[in-house]
Amino acid sequence: MTTLQLKNIVKRYKSQTVLDDLSLSVADGETLVLFGPSGAGKTVLLRMVAGVIEPDEGQILIGGEDMAEVDAEHRGIGMAFQNFALFPHMSAFDNIASPLTATRSSKDAIAAGVQKVAKLLKIDHVLSHHPKALSNGQKQRTALARALAGSPPLLLLDDPLRNVDAKLRFEMRLELPRLLAAQGATVVYVTQDYKEAMALGDRIAVMSQGRIRQIGTPAEIYLAPADIEIARLFGDPTINLLDVVPKEGPDGIYVELSDVRIALPGMPGAVVGKSCVIGLRPEAIVFTKAGAPGAIPVAVEAETPLNEKTVTLVMTMRKREVLVSRPAGTPGPASGPAHIAVDGRTAFLFDKQSGALIASAAASMTRNGEAA
Amino acid sequence: MASTARERKAASGFRISRKALPYVLSLPALLVCIGILVPFLSAVVYSFQRYRLSQPWARQFNWGDNYINFMTDPGFWNTLKVSLIYAGTTVTLELILGLGIALLLQRRSTVNNFVSIMLLMPLMTAPALAALMWKLMTNPGFGILSYFASLIGLEDFRWASSPSSALFTVVLVDIWVYTPFIMILLLAGLRSLPTQPFEAAALDGVPRTFVFFRITLPMLTPYILTATLFRLLDSIQQFDIIYAMTQGGPGDTLTVFQVEAYLNFFQSTNVGRSAALMVILWAITYFLSNVFIKHWLRLRERARGES
Amino acid sequence: METTSTFEKIFRGTALLLIVLFFMFPILWIFLMSFQTNETILRIPPSVVFTPTFENYQALITGKLTSAAGTLDIAFMRNLGNSVFLSVASVAVALVLGVPAAYAFARHKFRGSEDIAFTLLSFRFAPPLLVLLPLTQYFQWLGLADTYFGLIWVYQLICLPLILWIVRGYFEDISADVEYAYRIAGHSWFATFRKIALPLAGPGIAAAGLLAFIFAWNNFVFALVLASADKQPVTVGALAFVTASGIQYGQIAAAIVLSITPTLAIALYAQRYLVEGLSLGAVKG
Repeated sequence: MTTLQLKNIVKRYKSQTVLDDLSLSVADGETLVLFGPSGAGKTVLLRMVAGVIEPDEGQILIGGEDMAEVDAEHRGIGMAFQNFALFPHMSAFDNIASPLTATRSSKDAIAAGVQKVAKLLKIDHVLSHHPKALSNGQKQRTALARALAGSPPLLLLDDPLRNVDAKLRFEMRLELPRLLAAQGATVVYVTQDYKEAMALGDRIAVMSQGRIRQIGTPAEIYLAPADIEIARLFGDPTINLLDVVPKEGPDGIYVELSDVRIALPGMPGAVVGKSCVIGLRPEAIVFTKAGAPGAIPVAVEAETPLNEKTVTLVMTMRKREVLVSRPAGTPGPASGPAHIAVDGRTAFLFDKQSGALIASAAASMTRNGEAA
Repeated sequence: MASTARERKAASGFRISRKALPYVLSLPALLVCIGILVPFLSAVVYSFQRYRLSQPWARQFNWGDNYINFMTDPGFWNTLKVSLIYAGTTVTLELILGLGIALLLQRRSTVNNFVSIMLLMPLMTAPALAALMWKLMTNPGFGILSYFASLIGLEDFRWASSPSSALFTVVLVDIWVYTPFIMILLLAGLRSLPTQPFEAAALDGVPRTFVFFRITLPMLTPYILTATLFRLLDSIQQFDIIYAMTQGGPGDTLTVFQVEAYLNFFQSTNVGRSAALMVILWAITYFLSNVFIKHWLRLRERARGES
Repeated sequence: METTSTFEKIFRGTALLLIVLFFMFPILWIFLMSFQTNETILRIPPSVVFTPTFENYQALITGKLTSAAGTLDIAFMRNLGNSVFLSVASVAVALVLGVPAAYAFARHKFRGSEDIAFTLLSFRFAPPLLVLLPLTQYFQWLGLADTYFGLIWVYQLICLPLILWIVRGYFEDISADVEYAYRIAGHSWFATFRKIALPLAGPGIAAAGLLAFIFAWNNFVFALVLASADKQPVTVGALAFVTASGIQYGQIAAAIVLSITPTLAIALYAQRYLVEGLSLGAVKG
């Protein structure tokens, strides 16, 4: 186990700045997920930590040691690549053994090490195969086994589930946390899949355009996204974002949707009269009866059953589209007119201009331990 | 962790710094080539000198005289003319023939593949030896081609030994050797073309000449350019075939640049003139190779983008 | 895809036949000639009916030509030996120098790398005599005139750019991640070069080596200018042969056959890589 610190990293390719004054630290034994769209600089960052790309500016410390003059092979890192990067001319065994042969251990020790990690990843029956003869899932497991084989104190996983099919990805998402915990290593995990990020990360660093936009636990990010962009990235179906101008009434601050008032308790008074965007998670909106308090009349446009939930697209009177999500199997309207109710306490309010989060009632709820 | 990264690094001993590594790797190759650059510079210096091996005492800078003399030197104009005619004729004919053959062999079949492999043989024959082969075949005494010529009424056709047919003969040998070069490049090009436009055209019943000029040729252009530039660069510098066949003769019929420079150096020992000729040829090839390299870079970019 | 008319079939067949005839006939004819004596060669009209003789090859291989006029020494085997030695040594040197450089150019985009690579490429296109003529004098001073060492050095002008550009392409085709993965696993750059890059680019390097061999073997002008009789390869040696008195035409033909066989054999073996090699990687085969 070890710690990782990045201080003011800058990397430019020609005129383009790929990493822009980025700082980050990962605690001993922690799993940090780097999450963000492609082109955010996640992969470059990971390669820099691995020592195969050099930063233009800034410092990388592993276990408190400056890595500037330390070559990749001396950094004590295990890395799995998105495209697996298996050695095509070596058997799966030799692939997995590569971190072990580097330390010049005995043949028996190498064989034992490979067997152990291969069993763990359930590929001990294909060790004699070359990568060409492996299925995609086996390749992915071989790549992971290779990264783990040397028991590196620092593990870098570059979107290892990206190139495997949905079923495998689902399995691995369940299996990986256990594996990583057993390894006891400090982990940096890159992904573009928010579910993976939520499932695996002790903390998540959301990256875009070479900067870290927000860093926090999965709950913090989900319940208090720093801006509209992050709110949109986390959550499936995507968060509903509607333009509003908050007003102040006798009972506090409220917004109006289709002339129905939604109270926003706990919002600062400064938002009143300002152009805002309200963010409503689809699972925080429920169908209700006409005449119920806070019921907003809508028309159901389409219904999409997903595995564990049903997503309904409804249209408000002002022709604004809203997604409503409910657990599969629970009753709800399939078509025609209906009514929805919104719990103002779960809403986020973003500044329309900057996109930054102004306030969320939910954030205060996390602190009280009611949510998450 | 038992040891720090720094200790492990130190234990590994000899280490080339990351920044220096590429230079260290490419330095030996560079040094070998720089050795070649020195004579190149001397050649440029010689070209500005009055320099005859037979009169070393009279060696002195005459600056542009060698070049200025060319203006009124019929020998130089002959060299330029013959070189351009040679390059122009061979490349044009080889291009037409090579394209024709490539089109004939385009479809992959056992026969076509066999023929295309057979055609590699002339290309793999050393041009100097190819010239020798044709010399044997055009020998007035027993040459099979001389015999064929006499059969069609060309009694006493003297091939390379007559000023009127010498150019024809060396061009023929050049075509024999180098047409396959253009052919295999264009064949590779033709076979890598996407099939959809052709299938669509066939479905629509578009006439084949139209398909050829409007689809095949434009798509093949990068390959044609590559092959043409490559050949042009080689052909303007042709030495092996001409020297092995006629040594530039008869008379000055075939004194192309390199042959003329060679004769100037070794026979009339006029180093200055020889060097000036080479510098002019170098300027021509430098221009052509720059065009070529730019085009080549674009091709490579594209190949990389596709793969 | 298209309907082929009888006319087109006949046209294609005839055209193919003519092409094969034109391009194969000289090789075939010289091959036949090499098994004939002067008497059968000089027959008019020429005929393909003759009793083959191995005399010509025998004379070349033993280096002794016995004729009515007496015994004549032929140095052809020496030329052949020179060709083999010069080509093999030049390719070996070019591989040792060129493969690491190709790797550097492919993997490290260092300052000036493209310029250097193109400078090297431009050697391929410069007129050889431009360099060769002054080089004769430098070689005199350096004591390299008429030495194998000097010749092999000059042969790098053709071999090195070829190796460099083709092998660079093969290195670039290897995913950088594969090499990164090996380094991160704890191996030095040299181990990575040896265990990952070299084996993966292996077939390409071999093909480039074979092509460079062909080009070195077929070279004429370098040895013509720089080598004396006992260092000359077959390309120059065979030419001198023609003018030697007392030589029989069949022996010239036999010498040509022996001289072109190695390159033709290699070409057949490596034909898959020829397109890429001949265009210095500009056209993928």
